[in-house]
Formats: sequence, structure tokens, C-alpha cells
Amino acid sequence: MEEEGGGKVRVLIEKATTSTEPEVDPRLLKAIKSVVRRSDSELRLAAHILMDLMKREHSQVRYLTLLIIDELFMRSKLFRTLVVESLDQLLTLSVGFRNNSPLPGPTNVATALRSKAIEFLEKWNASFGIHYRQIRLGFDYLKNTLKYQFPNLQANAARLHQERRERERKSKEILLNKFETLKKNFASIKEEIQSTADEIGECLEIVRAKEERELLCPLDDEDMEEFHSYEFRQLRLHSLEEADKIHENSENKVVFDALRELYKLLVMKHLVAVQEWISVLVRVELTDNRARDSYLKEFIDIRNHIQSVKKKCEESGCAIPNTTNHEEEDFWEEGKIGSIESKRSSIPNNRTEDSVASTSKEVLDRVPECHANERDGNKRLNRKDGATNSDPLRSKLLAEAPEVNWGSYLDNWGSKRDVLANHRGLELESHWGRVDQDAVIPAEKIAELNLQTTLYKEQQVEIQPCRAPLSKGELCQRRDLRTCPFHGPIIPRDDEGKPLNQNPSKDEKTPDLGTDIVEQLAKQAVKNVREKDKELARKREIDKKSLKRAKLAKIREHNEAVLRDAAMASTSRSADIGEDWAATNGENRSSRNKKKALASMLQKKETPKDRLAQRLLNTRASAATVRQLTLGEDANYREAFPNQW
Amino acid sequence: MWREIGDREAGKLRPNSFSNRIKSNRIQTLQLSNRKDIVSPHRGSVNSLQVDLTEGRYLLSGASDASAAVFDIQHGTDYEGGGVIRKHKCLFMVDKQHEQGHKYAVSSAIWYPVDTGLFVTGSYDHHINVWDTNTTQVVMDFKMPGKVYRTAMSPLATSHMLIAAGTEDVQVRLCDIASGAFAHTLSGHRDGVMTVEWSTSSEWVLVTGGCDGAIRFWDIRRAGCFLVLDQSQSQLGRRPPILKRSATIKGSTAKSLSASQSSFAKARTPQTKLMNAKQSPVGKIPVKGSLKQRLHPGMLSSQDRATAHYGAVTGLKVTEDGMYLLSAGSDSRLRLWDVESGCNTLVNFETVRLQTSKPIQLATSQNLALVFVPCMTAVKAFNMWSGKTSLTFRGHYEHVNCCWFSLQDQELYTGGNDRQILVWSPSRSVSDEVDEGPKDEDNWSD
Repeated sequence: MEEEGGGKVRVLIEKATTSTEPEVDPRLLKAIKSVVRRSDSELRLAAHILMDLMKREHSQVRYLTLLIIDELFMRSKLFRTLVVESLDQLLTLSVGFRNNSPLPGPTNVATALRSKAIEFLEKWNASFGIHYRQIRLGFDYLKNTLKYQFPNLQANAARLHQERRERERKSKEILLNKFETLKKNFASIKEEIQSTADEIGECLEIVRAKEERELLCPLDDEDMEEFHSYEFRQLRLHSLEEADKIHENSENKVVFDALRELYKLLVMKHLVAVQEWISVLVRVELTDNRARDSYLKEFIDIRNHIQSVKKKCEESGCAIPNTTNHEEEDFWEEGKIGSIESKRSSIPNNRTEDSVASTSKEVLDRVPECHANERDGNKRLNRKDGATNSDPLRSKLLAEAPEVNWGSYLDNWGSKRDVLANHRGLELESHWGRVDQDAVIPAEKIAELNLQTTLYKEQQVEIQPCRAPLSKGELCQRRDLRTCPFHGPIIPRDDEGKPLNQNPSKDEKTPDLGTDIVEQLAKQAVKNVREKDKELARKREIDKKSLKRAKLAKIREHNEAVLRDAAMASTSRSADIGEDWAATNGENRSSRNKKKALASMLQKKETPKDRLAQRLLNTRASAATVRQLTLGEDANYREAFPNQW
Repeated sequence: MWREIGDREAGKLRPNSFSNRIKSNRIQTLQLSNRKDIVSPHRGSVNSLQVDLTEGRYLLSGASDASAAVFDIQHGTDYEGGGVIRKHKCLFMVDKQHEQGHKYAVSSAIWYPVDTGLFVTGSYDHHINVWDTNTTQVVMDFKMPGKVYRTAMSPLATSHMLIAAGTEDVQVRLCDIASGAFAHTLSGHRDGVMTVEWSTSSEWVLVTGGCDGAIRFWDIRRAGCFLVLDQSQSQLGRRPPILKRSATIKGSTAKSLSASQSSFAKARTPQTKLMNAKQSPVGKIPVKGSLKQRLHPGMLSSQDRATAHYGAVTGLKVTEDGMYLLSAGSDSRLRLWDVESGCNTLVNFETVRLQTSKPIQLATSQNLALVFVPCMTAVKAFNMWSGKTSLTFRGHYEHVNCCWFSLQDQELYTGGNDRQILVWSPSRSVSDEVDEGPKDEDNWSD
């Protein structure tokens, strides 16, 4: 039996387990399953081979084997009976619970193997434990004796299910309760809504009556003959209607207010409530649906009624829907506005100080400012004062006044009074003997106590960058106090590095305000556009650069990989190189190579120290071999990847 | 099976052999029982198991957590998995919480052989307790000089009620339930006594195996032991052929001579002959009293020093007919001794390894010539005459300490360090398989 079919499953299993992947190749797995399904002898053989593979001193092999075992275990009864007989062995090899046979390396795969094995055991126990005492025993032993932590998948799933059901039950209960309350309160709810609707109706009546009265006279005044055709009349009516709507004056303001209020109540409260009740009614589950249906019908009627009333309201006064619309949507609108504003305001802050504000309001603010300050208006404090206060003396004094930290002592600033020592606002019993109620702290003592220490803080002077244009297109970022060693004295420059004005002192102080502002605005606009363009260009350039760099890195990487491959191939080079190329070009790697990979998994990772030592030892040798190999392959390479060398 | 029944019907087959055949067939299919679960209440390794000898219904277990429990193995207490699994929970348990319970591990728990009204537990806390089963109270308490390894009561005894106790101490003590005192103190071993066993052919004969590697036979009616088994003294086959006995002995002598100690062998030769000539030591005491006197082994130091195993003797079991003795030692050997001749029968049992630190409990089934031996984590059934392994029972996750074979049900009970008591029963026939409960079937999805 092992002759004809036997080879097949053996080959398949061998192939499936000699991989470094964390999964079994699904195609191979499928092939194994289909082979094994066809004949029992194959299955027996497979079980035997798999148990043998589990003994391999490599966790990766064991891991893949375990995955295959699980697949077959969940499917075939015969396989189960075979595996169960040596379940203790299987568990020893997969969980590694015996001290004398720990799991082999590599460690990360070993831990994966262990957790997987425990998970599988739990699964097996849940689905087949009842039929196999061995599984129950193994599970019990690992769980209760060795105290392994099982993932408890089943229990978790059951618990989740239970929780969900609980939640559903609760929500049902809540709905039912709501329904009960509705039953009780239905009449009152309905009444309330009805009354509101009625009130609205009344208000509308009043408004309309007034309007009609008012409108009557112009209608009378106008000559009906003027409008001959039907179209004209229609047009006129329409325009009149339009005119109706905006009629809100001091006379009917009260009515409109009430109307608005009621409308709000109707829409914000009643309509919402009714919608809610409808949804409750739709969701609630009752044994008797008749009551529910009737309620539902009623509510739908009410809703329709409310909507019609609402519509009427909206038709009657155009202000109402507008405001409501605004109220409904205001959230978004405001958010947008805010963000725009913040953007706008953030732009000027980022710029240099003398940049022009973009909004006209700020410009207007600046006008008196310029008036007020004859001197250099750099200090913000002065500016503000100038803007708010026209008294020059006071501003001058304020400019000179020292800044004082805020504190409670400012409460009695400048008062020269004695303070009563024993009056603290609390009626305290005199525990420690008599208290002199009239004790006084003299004013000079108070002044002494209130003495504040101030530390001298050096004013931070922001040193301006030189900003002279450099040859590579950027601006000089050197920050010197007065003179840049490369570009001479530091002068204000524009964004391209050109000196702003050759005769700065006069130009800046030109009193021609209007032109100045216009000019500055224009300049600013130009600057903005230019900046944007420049930024775009820069971005593009950076993109291009990074692309280029990535490309370079790729090529370098590839070259390195090739070099490494070449260096690793130690036997006759031409043959191995050919093989390597075959391996990398096509996906079919030989099993021998894979084994190498498996073995390499077991090897310790090289530390930099090792590598250094290695390099020191065989620089010359490796250099020689590399040179030789590269020389040998050069031709090959050039043919294969002409653009990469 | 049907053929055999037909033969039996026709009278071609004797009742005895018929039942033996059926039983041996069943035993060949022994496997871990899925239908019968003994729920072990123990939190320590199970050291001793015994089914009562009167009804074959109550299983007594002793464990390292100082507890002993009794199970009804015929009737389950509850069912699981749609009635497929029958659970046997313990009827009662005595442990540390019991005010008279043991303090340390219970090493041995045995039934009173006559009925199930009493049971005896021996413990590492130096005590042997006799319990009343119905009230679960201690009715008698013996203080021993050391840890108790094994206790035994004779299943045959009609004239005495002695508990033989093997302890850390070199002396074997016999505790009399009737009087509550030590009846005898048997000295001869040079080290602790791991295992004791009453003969199944004579109520007076006791076999003990010690840590010194000696197996001694005692006749409790007189002082000293009358036989020390010697592993180098052997015979081939089950029984030396009666006519050629001398030749066999010579052969064995020659063999032992070829071994190193010639002087020992020479000294032993006449002794052996005499021993063999004596035939049954118990039955012929009045006839050959004078001879016996002369042969008192205590006087012959050379024989007194003989050993049955290298290392300790950890397990003893006398076959049901009382003619053979099986011994297990810490040298991982299993030996079959001819009790009559006192010779090693040189059966080579294919044991792999035996537990060395603890006494182990063997089980035999004489009719079927099987011996069940705990071999580390597995229990193996050997053919008694060929020594071949006929069955291997793997199920325990740690070392197995004890096993008990119930011939009545053809079931094997094993207890181990993993705290489990497992039941091994004959696999059920296919017709039984079709019943309630979820099916175990193939489930190919693709």
C-alpha cells in the first residue's frame, strides 16, 4: 500500500512542512486532504508521517505539521482515532509541557506552536471530547494540573452571545415600558399637540385677518382693468402673495412672536416626540398588535397634521423657516466660518511684523494708529493704547510705567490705612485667653509686608536672519546682530532676498496713507501668489528628489542583494549563480534551499559585534572573493539589468 | 464468539474454558473507557487502588493528599454528554478535614477481605487506621515506627485478622485487628520494607520485599523467615521437570559458578537441594520438622544475604494459585519466581523502565496469564510465561503508581501521579455503538 499511493501523501506532506511560512500552502493542504480522503491506507500513512514529523527538532516543522493534523483531525474519524491513541505524545511535542523535552527552536515559532496547540486542544475537546476520553484527559491535565491558560474561545463566544441576548431583552423591556406609558399618556399627549396646533392656527388666523385688511385697500386702489390678461393677474397675485409674507410690523409683532414660539415648540418638541413614538411603536413586540396598530395610525395622523401646520406656518411667515433653517444648519455653517476666520487670522500672524492685514477692518484699525504714533510704532502696547486712547500724556506715562505681577495685594493698592489685626471675618472664640480686638498693624508695616520682589528679565530680542539670497536659491539663515560676515549689514529684505528699500528711513514714514495701504495690499497679494507658486515648485522639486532617491535606494538594495547572494554561494560559482537566478526569477525553489532556510531560522542572529569581528578577520579574503565573483557575474548582470549598473 | 457459544451449547467446550476464552477475547480489546469516568476527588497522586473482594463493586483509592475515597464502579452517579458518559463520583472520601484522618500521604488503602464494612489505610504519618465504612470513623489506630509503605491482609485467613505492614523500619509488623496490638514483629530485612503480600495458598505465609533488594518469605507461626529469594538462583521454564531436576540444578549451579562468586555458589548448592526436596514448606512442617530446624535461614548468613533485585523491591504480586510470585525492582526488572523452588524462572519481561522511588502495585490475571505493570506513564500487560508485551495502556500524563484488574468485569483500573483514576474496559461491540448522543463521524468539507 505504501508503494503506489504512499509516496504521494508523503511527498505532499514533506513539501507542505518544509516551508518557512506561518501557514500551510492551501493548495498543498487541499491536495493532502483529497488524497487522504480517498483511501484509509493513505490516511493511516499520513497519520504516521505526521507523528514522525512532530518529532523533528524544529518548531517550524512541528507547527506546520500541527496545522495539517488539525485539518485532518476535524474531518476524519479514523484520523482522530489514530491520533488520539498517542495524544499524550502529540501534546508533549506540541505544548512541550514535559521538562525533559522542551520545544526546539526557534523560540518565537515555539511559542506560536504552543499557543496553537493549546487552542486546538480546546477546540478538539469542545467538539470531540465527548467521544474520546483521551482528549478530555489531556485537556483536563493541561488545564487543571498544569494550569495552562486556555483561550476559552467557546466560552467567550457563548458569553458574548448571552450578553447580546441580554441586551436585546433589556431593550425590548424598555420598549414595552415605553409602550405602557404611552398607553397611559396618549390622551394627554394628543391633547397637548392638538392645543399647540390650534393655537398656531389661531395665530395664523389673526395674522391673516390683519394682512387681508391691510391688503384690501391697495387692492381696491389698483385698477383691475389694468390687468387684462390672466397671466398678468397671476403675476400680480403672486407678487402680492410675496408681499404678504414679509408683513411684520410693530402691530402684529406680538402675534408673530407667539407664532414663532409655538412653531418652535411644535417642531422641536412635538414633532420629534411623535417621531420617537412612532419608532417605538414600530419596534415594540406585543402579543396583541391591534392596540399598537391603532396607536400607530393615530400617531401617523398626528404627524401629518403637524407637518401640515408646519407648512402653513412656513408659508405664512417667511422669517420662521429661515430662522429654523439657520438653527438646524447653524452648526456646520459656524464651524466653517470659524475655521476660515482662524485661517485668515493665522496667516498675518505668521508673517513678518510689518505685513499688512488682509481684512479691511484691521486696516481701518491701523489708520488712527499711524496717526497716533509719530515714532517707530513697533511696540504693540503703544499701538493699542494709541488706538483706544487719544491722551498722549497718559500713553506716555503708561509706556514708562513698570509692569507688576498680578496678586491679591493689588486689592488695596495705594491705600495707606492701618489694618485691624484680629478682624478676619471669622467669629473666633478666644481659646488662648483674651484677644485684643483693637490691635492694629500700622500702615508702614503693611507696606513692608506687601513689598514685592521683581526679577529683572532680559528682554528677548529676536535676531533677524540675514535673508540674503544664496546661490542655491535659498535665503541665508544666519542670525547675526548687525552684520552678516558673508552678506554685509543686515537689512530688511523681501521674500526673494532683495533689499526692501535702499533709503529705508524716509520711505517708511511717508504720510500718504491711502496709497501706502493700496500699495502694500497689492504687494501683499503679489507676494501671496508668488509664495504659493514657489511653494508648489519646491514641493514638486522635493517630490522629484525623493523619487529619485527612492529609485537610487532601490537600485542600491538590489545590487547589495545580488552581491550578498553571490558572496553566499560558496561552491562552483557559475553553477550556483545560475541556480540562484533561476530561483529568483521563477518561484519554484527546490526543497534543498528551503531546508537551508529552515536551518537558518535556527541559527542565531548575527550581532553587529560578530559582524565586525568577522569583517576584521576576513576583509581581505572576502574582498578578494567578492571581487572575483563580481567580475565573473558582471557580464551576466549587464545583460540582465543593463539600466541598473 | 457465536461459534464458541455453539460449542458450549453442544457441550464441546467446558464452562471454564468457555468463559476463559470469552474473557481473554475481551481483555485483548481493553482500551481507555469512554463510557465510564471515575471522577477523582484526589488532589495528589493516587497510590493505591483496590476493588473489594466480596462484591467486586466498590473501588477504594488512597492518595497523596492524605485522602482515601470509595467509588461504586457498577452504578454511575450521573451522566454526561447525552447519557454517553457515565460518571462515577466517590461515595465518600476521608481526608485531612476528617478529624481522624491522616496527616500525610496515604500510601496504601485496602479492604477488609471478608466484607466491605472495614477498610485499612496506611500513611506516611506513621499510622495505620482501620475505618468503619458505614460511619467513616476510625475504629482502630496503629502507631508505626516509620512511614507506612504498604499494608496487606490475607484474603484466605480464617483464623487470624492480621494487617501486615511494610514501613520505613526494617521490621515488618503484624497488627491484630482483633486485639488492637502488634502480634508479631518480623525482623530480617536490612532496610525499609517497600511491599508486603500474603500468600494466596496459605494463610500463614507472608512475602515481603525490601529496599535492600531481598524478598523474604515468612511463616508467621514461627520466628524468622524461611526463604530468601536469590536472583542468581534460577530455573528455565515454568517448573523444573521432575525427573531432570538434579540436572537443572547442576546447570544452574554451573552457571552461577561461571559467575564470579564460586565460594557462595558452593555453599549454596546443598542448601538449594534441600530446599527443593522440601517441596511445600508450609504443608509439611510437622513431617520434616527436624530438617527445618537445621535449615533455619537466619543461621546461614550466605543465603540470608541473597538479593532478588539490584536495588529495592518495589512491587510484589502472588498469582492467584499461589505458585508464582512476580516481583518488580528499582533495577527496572520484573521477575517471575517459582514459589515452590524459590528460583528465578528467567522470564525476560520486556519492561522499559519502572518507577524507582515509589512502591508500585502490580495486577495479575492468572487464567489469562497476564500481568499488568505500571511502566512509568504507561501500564503494560505482559504475558506471564513469555514476557512479551501484549497490551500497552497509554493515558496517564504522569507516572502510574498502581493498577487493579477486576476479573469479574474484565476491567483495569489505574491510578497515577496525575491524580486520575482511569478505567480500561473492553471495547464495546458495534451494535452497542448505535445509541443516543451526538455522532462522531467524518466531516469532509471538500
